[in-house]
Amino acid sequence: MSVIFLLLTISTLMAGIFLLAFIRSVRKGQYDDDRSPAVRILLDDPAPAAGPAHVPITHPIANEPT
Amino acid sequence: MFPLFAPVASQSPADTSTCYHCGDPCGGEHRVHQGKDFCCQGCTVVFDLLNEAGLCNYYELERQPGVKQAASVDEQRAELFALEEVRSKLVEFSEEGITRVRLHVPQMHCSSCIWLLENLSRINPDIIRSRVSFSDKELTVTFREGTLSLPQLVQLLRRIGYGPQVTGGGGKRRELPHLLLIRVGVAGFIFGNTMLFAIPEYLGADGEAGLKTGFQWLTVLFSIPVVFFLSTDFFRSAWAGIRSRTANIDQPIALGIVALWTRSLYDVLSGTGPGYFDSLAGLLFFLLIGRWYQAYTYRALRFDRALEDFLPLVVLRRTDQGEEAVKVAALQPGDRILVRDQELVPVDAILREGTAHIDNSFITGEPLPVRKAVGGTIKAGGRQRGAAIELEVLRTFADSRLKQLWAEQETAHGRPAMPRLIDALARRFTLAVLLISVGAGLYWWGRDPAQVWPVVTAVLIVACPCALALSMPFAYGHTVRLMGRRGLFLRSTEVVERMAQISTVVFDKTGTLTAREAHRVQWVGTPLDIREQALAHAVARNSTHPLSSVLAQELKQAADPACRVYGAHEHAGQGILATVDRTTVRVGSAAFCRAVDRPRSKGEAQVHLAINGAPRGYFSIRKQPRSGIARAVQALQGYYRTGLLTGDVQVDPELAGLFAAETIRTGCSPLDKQEAVRQQQQQGARVLMVGDGLNDAGALAQADVGVTVTETSAALTPSSDAIMDAAALHRLPGFLALSRKAHRIVIASLAISLCYNITGVALAVAGHMTPLIAAILMPLSSVSVVGFVTLSTWWAARRTLG
Repeated sequence: MSVIFLLLTISTLMAGIFLLAFIRSVRKGQYDDDRSPAVRILLDDPAPAAGPAHVPITHPIANEPT
Repeated sequence: MFPLFAPVASQSPADTSTCYHCGDPCGGEHRVHQGKDFCCQGCTVVFDLLNEAGLCNYYELERQPGVKQAASVDEQRAELFALEEVRSKLVEFSEEGITRVRLHVPQMHCSSCIWLLENLSRINPDIIRSRVSFSDKELTVTFREGTLSLPQLVQLLRRIGYGPQVTGGGGKRRELPHLLLIRVGVAGFIFGNTMLFAIPEYLGADGEAGLKTGFQWLTVLFSIPVVFFLSTDFFRSAWAGIRSRTANIDQPIALGIVALWTRSLYDVLSGTGPGYFDSLAGLLFFLLIGRWYQAYTYRALRFDRALEDFLPLVVLRRTDQGEEAVKVAALQPGDRILVRDQELVPVDAILREGTAHIDNSFITGEPLPVRKAVGGTIKAGGRQRGAAIELEVLRTFADSRLKQLWAEQETAHGRPAMPRLIDALARRFTLAVLLISVGAGLYWWGRDPAQVWPVVTAVLIVACPCALALSMPFAYGHTVRLMGRRGLFLRSTEVVERMAQISTVVFDKTGTLTAREAHRVQWVGTPLDIREQALAHAVARNSTHPLSSVLAQELKQAADPACRVYGAHEHAGQGILATVDRTTVRVGSAAFCRAVDRPRSKGEAQVHLAINGAPRGYFSIRKQPRSGIARAVQALQGYYRTGLLTGDVQVDPELAGLFAAETIRTGCSPLDKQEAVRQQQQQGARVLMVGDGLNDAGALAQADVGVTVTETSAALTPSSDAIMDAAALHRLPGFLALSRKAHRIVIASLAISLCYNITGVALAVAGHMTPLIAAILMPLSSVSVVGFVTLSTWWAARRTLG
């Protein structure tokens, strides 16, 4: 029966991890805008040939501090 | 796609085409470019720009998504963005020539806008990345500042119709409170886990003593953040109420939380039971959801305005060395300033060069421009329409009319406080709960002193008005959302309750009841035949004057492509002279057409016509009431007293007929309007004021509910409690009816939740309130009240608003 203590600890820990992930996502502003992401996913990526100087996403600015 | 002022689908008749870019009907300036219809040069230019950059996908995503150039906010010159104080408000990050700015772009309204604004890098390679936050209508742009300056970026945005707007608040953003959202998440987490730990207790898992105590201590552990992190707002508000000796609903809630926690702690420590920790977590979870639901606002709209929002912050000053951009506040009398087409005159000034066509719609709602000749005085807040003019500053900014209008609005603090239902209820509720618990305590003291503590705490626990506190946020919060979908955007849920108690509705006339763009044109003189109409149309089409475009629109049916215009010559401020098929046609002022000047009523404009030198008569152009106004006002008169306040000297008979003669007040200055509202309030009326211009700002602030009418979300509106899409004005009776119904729904739901409380208290006094019953009763009451409120509000909105 003592295995239940182990299971309990693991499940509570996991729930805690999810809670922390949620708090982090709120702090990062993921819930600030609930409209544009829904639209953005429907928009096609620009065809690389069509426009001048398509900037790849790996540009250093992609990793700038927020 | 989005309800926030998406442009109304153009319901054009089959014979007229609409602009490929902006969707407006192609009127006088109709042009065909690359096989597509456009309404003006501006739209064609934007199309070309996007076409070159390979961004025509813009037109594929939504039909006619563009923003007309004139409709975009261009109060603020690009030079403004070079000012360090403005720049520092916008720049989020700047290092090694790479800068990121956050701009407010109120024009965005659909998925095409999002797509275009996120693909700016294809128009200019110096833009590295652009990202839209639609809920805030904000655009974040990362660009190389070495090669593209901030003013240049602003100009680029303005060229494609998305000129950013700097608001006085600047960097201060209204965010959905992060802390509240985190609290809801934590409450959900604790609620779920505590319930899980309570199940063995309820199912009677007696055999495993170690397991049970283990679970109990876990719930104790979880309850600590509930009390010390989740509940702090309730404690703070309750304490503030006690200190100011006013009752509020948070007091019985705080009492309930304390009672729940101490009782549960006592139970666990003394080993007499598992405590009510699951009920406690559930209580906070539901209460916080209610708070979160209530906190929803239309973040993209600005309900509060600073005067600086309304004005160009910088203006071009002409000096001996040339032109320089100066801040408006720094202007001195005698300075010469330049005001270009579509720009606002920021200070009272005298016209020195050029012809001014001043459109005061921003101040008064009156859309027809007034002509001023050199030497004339132009008051601050007028918008120039036409070529650039040079002005001499007459008064400093602080002494100008605009500043004074603003100061008047600030003095409107006399708004009578409106008692809130929930506060009145809370006072009685708290008193009743305290009396019952004392009474029950005394009763059990006599019979079985051991029962006093459990019974008294149980009474305090079940009396906790969770459902009571939820009914209002959900009923009013849902009403706010339902109204928003139909074009009325309220500042907060509290406005619904104030709306429900309104007894008088007061309207502003110009710009509110009359439309800004719709005009009624009447021909006065001997009737024109179809050919003469075609001539007038052909000439009017060649002029850029606002009245000409009204006329060209009106005479569209008579348009004849065979009419070739030769040598059109526009005499600024007088009229246009043109030769059409060897016929000389003059369209313009009476003097220009050598006609007799007729007396004209206020708000009327006259455009004379002379063919081959002979005056033929004139077109009388008036503003037209918005559609559905008559029906709406008549519907309102069933429940409310109505009134009309206007700055004009006389009112069109059409509108005057709608209101009782004694309720119409003409010739009102902004201060008169405010005073009129206050008089009504002193007679005990609760006033809802509907207005639009800055001249209504004082009355809007004074009224119990101030509603601003606007045609685009990009327009600047005075501070108010609510912003209404002009197309929804005819629904005003429905909105008010919905607010009254929402109020009744709240009363009904309060009755339901009181029933739960009474049942619970009865059980508690009798000593039967076990943790299991509490764990069932509390969520049941909350969920049923929220369900009832949400469904009935939705149903009421369907019935009243359709």
